[in-house]
Amino acid sequence: MKVSYSSDEEKFREEVREWFRVNTPPEVKDQTLGGSSLNHDPMIKWHKTLYEKGWVAPEFPKEFGGAGFSDTEQFIFNYEYSHSGAPRLKTKLVSLGMLAPLLLQFGTKEQQERFIPDMLAGKTIWCQGFSEPNAGSDLASLKLKAVSDGDDFVLNGQKTWTSMADHADWVFMLVRTDSSGRKQQGISFLLVDLTSPGITIRPIEALTDYAPFCEVFFDDVRVPKENLVGKEGEGWKLAGALLQHERLNAFPIGELIYSIDTIRKNAEKNRYRGKPLIEDPGFRKKLAALEVDCNSLLYTFLRILSQLSVGSAPGPEASFLKVYGSELYQRVMDLNIEAMGPCGQSWYNLEALDNSVHQATMGWVNSRSLTIWGGSSEIQRTIIATQVLKLPRK
Amino acid sequence: MDFELTSEHLSLKESAASFVKKDHSFDRLRDLYKDPLGYSKEAWKKMAELGWMGLIYPEEYGGLGLDFGFVMVLLEEFGKGLLPEPWISNILLGGNLILAGGTEPQKQEILPEIVSGDLMITAAYLEDDGRYDTNFCATSAKRQGDAFTISGKKIFVLDGLSADRFIVTTRTSGSVADTDGITLFMISQGADGVKMTPLKTMDGRNACTLELADVSAPETDIIGELEQGHPVLSGVMDQATAGLCAEMVGGMQAALDITVNYLTERVQFGKPIGTLQTPQHKAADMFIQKELSASSVYYAIASIDEKTVDMASAISSAKAKCSSAYVQIAKAAVQLFGGMGFSNEADIGYFLKRAKVAEILFGDADYHLDRYARLNGY
Ligand SMILES: Cc1cc2nc3c(=O)[nH]c(=O)nc-3n(C[C@H](O)[C@H](O)[C@H](O)COP(=O)(O)OP(=O)(O)OC[C@H]3O[C@@H](n4cnc5c(N)ncnc54)[C@H](O)[C@@H]3O)c2cc1C
Repeated sequence: MKVSYSSDEEKFREEVREWFRVNTPPEVKDQTLGGSSLNHDPMIKWHKTLYEKGWVAPEFPKEFGGAGFSDTEQFIFNYEYSHSGAPRLKTKLVSLGMLAPLLLQFGTKEQQERFIPDMLAGKTIWCQGFSEPNAGSDLASLKLKAVSDGDDFVLNGQKTWTSMADHADWVFMLVRTDSSGRKQQGISFLLVDLTSPGITIRPIEALTDYAPFCEVFFDDVRVPKENLVGKEGEGWKLAGALLQHERLNAFPIGELIYSIDTIRKNAEKNRYRGKPLIEDPGFRKKLAALEVDCNSLLYTFLRILSQLSVGSAPGPEASFLKVYGSELYQRVMDLNIEAMGPCGQSWYNLEALDNSVHQATMGWVNSRSLTIWGGSSEIQRTIIATQVLKLPRK
Repeated sequence: MDFELTSEHLSLKESAASFVKKDHSFDRLRDLYKDPLGYSKEAWKKMAELGWMGLIYPEEYGGLGLDFGFVMVLLEEFGKGLLPEPWISNILLGGNLILAGGTEPQKQEILPEIVSGDLMITAAYLEDDGRYDTNFCATSAKRQGDAFTISGKKIFVLDGLSADRFIVTTRTSGSVADTDGITLFMISQGADGVKMTPLKTMDGRNACTLELADVSAPETDIIGELEQGHPVLSGVMDQATAGLCAEMVGGMQAALDITVNYLTERVQFGKPIGTLQTPQHKAADMFIQKELSASSVYYAIASIDEKTVDMASAISSAKAKCSSAYVQIAKAAVQLFGGMGFSNEADIGYFLKRAKVAEILFGDADYHLDRYARLNGY
């Protein structure tokens, strides 16, 4: 047990904080509250800035372009990063965040060398093609067919809710290579070039009024077999490993704390009955209650991380970070929009009103998606009940 | 005690339901959502022809002189379809202020024009730093001879973009948060010194900011009496709030119905997700919240018609309940729709956004809880 940082670690913190303060361009700073999207071009530019600094993937070992940080340094880095108001890299969320660790574990050397450097450099953007119209929570019932034909698979079917597919170059996906056995069998994990003939991408507008995700249609799309990750029929196992990464990644705690700080700033600025809102006893308690919940999550996160560093992989425990973190984030967005008073009704009005208003309303709407993607809260609770608590399944 | 509707109420309910079904749809809403105005003038005209603008106004001003129960019935149906036409702002706020506070000539001039659907009128009473307090008023009106000069700024004026007239709260004496010393003025859109900035609200409807710079208004444009504006506004706001609550109950009902339907259709793990206990329990909670809200609103509406002593408290009680319940129901609904719930392709998300706006409109739950406590002496 040790809860304070060494002086070297504090020095490192200062360095990171200062770098983000100086290097985050105004057009990307304070733009993505509640996980809202940033336009693609500034995002790519931001990716490249971090890449040049060597900070795109601090969680990676140095030989793969990582920053070579210790676990504690990684935590400090991520905390200061999100806390600075700089946007997370959507461009790495599924590539370096999910696919790369999977390739390091299960991919061939050629696949690692071919794909990971371009992910780091921001040259290739990836998206995740798991969900289908009839396979969401029940992912294993996916139907998109991959039929073996010589050195290729031939793909037919549809994916949906594929985030960023309209900006992506490649998709990693689960496909059905065999429908004879149990539905979890016969699923394979495939890497597909989105410029392949036969692919149609249609963006879907979300409640935010922009289109963060797409439908992707496959019509006789040929994919070389060398793009298979792991063995044919091993896709379900790989997806399980990958989703653990998604869940652990889902809640950078610094972003949550940044949001709570944002409420505080808004409540210091907005007035209520002649005083700053933050001085209202009712409001203060609501904010403090969120901060206390956030602290408990932060310490839990650190506890899980410290267990990870002694070699254990993130287990089903990661589910509870996802479920609690996402729901807490929603409550934070609830209080932030509440702090805005009548301005909480606003929608866009970017010219007429302050950016903090836009961030509050957009962040509130966007936060509703956090308990849906990456395994819904309902599904996560079932995982905790059955896999952590070992309650019997029906 | 009797919570039943009369046959006259039921017949209005039927014609409102049929209007929402025939002249409105979620696809129409989708189009209007992207329109700056957010509603259609033809639909407004049609509603006027149906006699709905004059529902509660006395017959001498062209109205039907009906009780508030009819408002409830009408708005509940509007709420089910998320009908975006600005009935509440025009009829329950703008027009109602004229009815409650106006002089006889003002009523005779303005009300028939509202009833015919030709004049659009709303109220401007919110200010920066005032949050939801209707008595917070820094906008000043200074006497200069026979006229007054008005300066100040109003925010989120409901349906202000198409308003011909605004009823504006101004301060003629006292300090910024006094309840006394507020005077209501009627100002025309486009008058000298009136600057309007259009705003869009989350539900796709419109509002505006009004900046008033030395706007001149004759004494005859005072609504009611000098310095007596706040009690008038307060009574009218109560009615508008009660009406909004009825609309919210309609929205809750529709969100629940649409969700229950989805739960029976959407299949995962080989069976409808409505057969799973977790979604079932969520839907049951939605139902409970809707029922509790409806009862609070029926009570509040009846208290208006009966002029009970606890009317204001009943309305704040209903609004506090509806503000939290509608959003809670809509959040659960979106969650139960999964990815589809987060997309504009399903209808359910429009309920989430309307629920948020309605939660805030005329004061959020906290505002009404505070008011409820004050009205009840603690
Ligand atoms: C913003 C966003 C981005 C996304 N990005 C991607 C992406 O990039 N790639 C990708 O592959 N997918 C993506 N998704 C899809 C996401 O993974 C699915 O939406 C999610 O898995 C839920 O599936 P569904 O939408 O089919 O809902 P359903 O599975 O139909 O669920 C509907 C409701 O039923 C509940 N439910 C279902 N089964 C059970 C059960 N057994 N017990 C209790 N409750 C249950 C759910 O919790 C939910 O509330 C994204 C979704 C969103 C909202």
